[in-house]
Amino acid sequence: MTIQDQGEVRIETEADIAVARRAVRDLAAKIGFGITETARIVTAVSELGRNVHKYAGGGVMQWHALKNGGNAGLELRFEDQGPGIADINEAMREGYSTGGGLGMGLPGAKRLMDHLDIQSTVGKGTTVTVRKWRRQ
Amino acid sequence: MVSTVETAPAKRRDGGQTSTPEVSQEMLQILVDNIQEYAILTLDPEGRVTTWAPAAERLKGYKAGEIIGKHFSVFYTREDQESGKCQRELEAAARDGRFEDEGWRVRKDGSRFWANVVITALRDPKGNLKGFGKITRDMTERKQADERLRQQNRDVLEMATVPVVQVWEGILLVPLIGMLDSSRTQQLMERLLHRLTETSSQVALVDITGVPTIDTQTAQHLIETIKAVRYIGAEVVLTGVRPVIAQTLVHLGIDLSNATTRASLAAGLRVAFNLLNLRVGAADAAGRTELA
Amino acid sequence: MNVNETISVIQIRNVLLVTMPADPDDSTIAALQERTLEAMNNRDVQGLVLDLSKVEILDSYFARTVAETAQMVGLMGGTTIIAGMRPAVAITATELGVTLGRTRTVMTVERALELAGQRQVNGKQQR
Repeated sequence: MTIQDQGEVRIETEADIAVARRAVRDLAAKIGFGITETARIVTAVSELGRNVHKYAGGGVMQWHALKNGGNAGLELRFEDQGPGIADINEAMREGYSTGGGLGMGLPGAKRLMDHLDIQSTVGKGTTVTVRKWRRQ
Repeated sequence: MVSTVETAPAKRRDGGQTSTPEVSQEMLQILVDNIQEYAILTLDPEGRVTTWAPAAERLKGYKAGEIIGKHFSVFYTREDQESGKCQRELEAAARDGRFEDEGWRVRKDGSRFWANVVITALRDPKGNLKGFGKITRDMTERKQADERLRQQNRDVLEMATVPVVQVWEGILLVPLIGMLDSSRTQQLMERLLHRLTETSSQVALVDITGVPTIDTQTAQHLIETIKAVRYIGAEVVLTGVRPVIAQTLVHLGIDLSNATTRASLAAGLRVAFNLLNLRVGAADAAGRTELA
Repeated sequence: MNVNETISVIQIRNVLLVTMPADPDDSTIAALQERTLEAMNNRDVQGLVLDLSKVEILDSYFARTVAETAQMVGLMGGTTIIAGMRPAVAITATELGVTLGRTRTVMTVERALELAGQRQVNGKQQR
């Protein structure tokens, strides 16, 4: 069955990260993204999904196929009710920490996608939205 | 003087004549029922389906019983429904007589197809709007053929902007011309890595003789390309690093010491051959004579 | 568990050949490290060849596990060779900015086994 243009995956366990990857891979194929573009998108999903699981104790990834005139793309939203990020600028700074800190997933995902938006409130939770359009 | 006013029979577009109204009605019905390529149906003035045809069932998936009386917006995507596209199309057809459009339509099972649609306003001899005729044609195949052609054009263009040439067995050459922005770097990495694995080549000569100046961004892109090539198991020799480029690199504080670089393509080629010779076999390495 | 998700571990002389599936989940990735250490503990393994030719996605967790495993292998005197990384994976790994640690990369498993074997031959000759 072909994947729907919108849907969600609950990310509660480690195994759910792989489920999220698979869903987005199917969606990217449906939309017509190439192999490398798909790899970028799915890798970003893995990074952001892992953040949700590791730092927020769980959350949800929602997906949404996009259309803009003749072009197609997708939007993904990672939402959690975790501790939130105190300093977003710090989290977005490039720098790979071998401890695998929060700083790893966000700058990486931003690099791989066309657009990354992050809303976070300490004590309430975080929402990361990413978008990618097919290369014209 | 008595004059009779006769209502003229509705003029048909082709100006043709029918023998009798009853026969033409029957023939029209047979026509609609038998046409395979076009889904022909009619709507009432509000947009609800009033007639259905076998081709329409085949194309859209609904049986007559399921769809007659329903609003034709069910054939459209969620985005189009929400944006009020259906209403606009009926209004345009009512205003101009016909409306033509190409776009995604949705079947009963939720699957999509690319359609060419013509909506015609149907009016009685007095000019009252009796409803609409809708003719839908499945253009998915044509659209896919267009996409393939566009992709081919992109491939050709890509080859022109990032040419990758095999100069020897196991050695590819990429003569870069112009500056390297992010998008070109992506093209370069994808094309070069793909060709390297395709030809099982071990060395990529990336020649920057045709790159006028080097800035931090271009240098970063080159460094990334070298990293990616190494990951797949090949090696880059950066050539064309002429005096002015070397000077700029040092002044910018860019560290390329991890990479193999040469001033000329010829020198790079020599390095490439050396690298290949080393692969022949460890046994040879000990007794090998240094190449000049 | 999906058949596609399991890693395969075989020993060829003194070299451990670990083959990763296309999109391993976290527990499969962790198994890479566990099985490698186990093998180096129990058998006379001097090198690790990691076959990534089927892998379609390499995220930071996967990369970190590979780098850590290579480091452990190195500390125990062995070498790690990565074979067959796909272009799309190489590109995203570069853009993500990960490191794979002390590893050598080659195109084919064949080439990797050749190299791993040579090292041993040279090692023995030096004695």
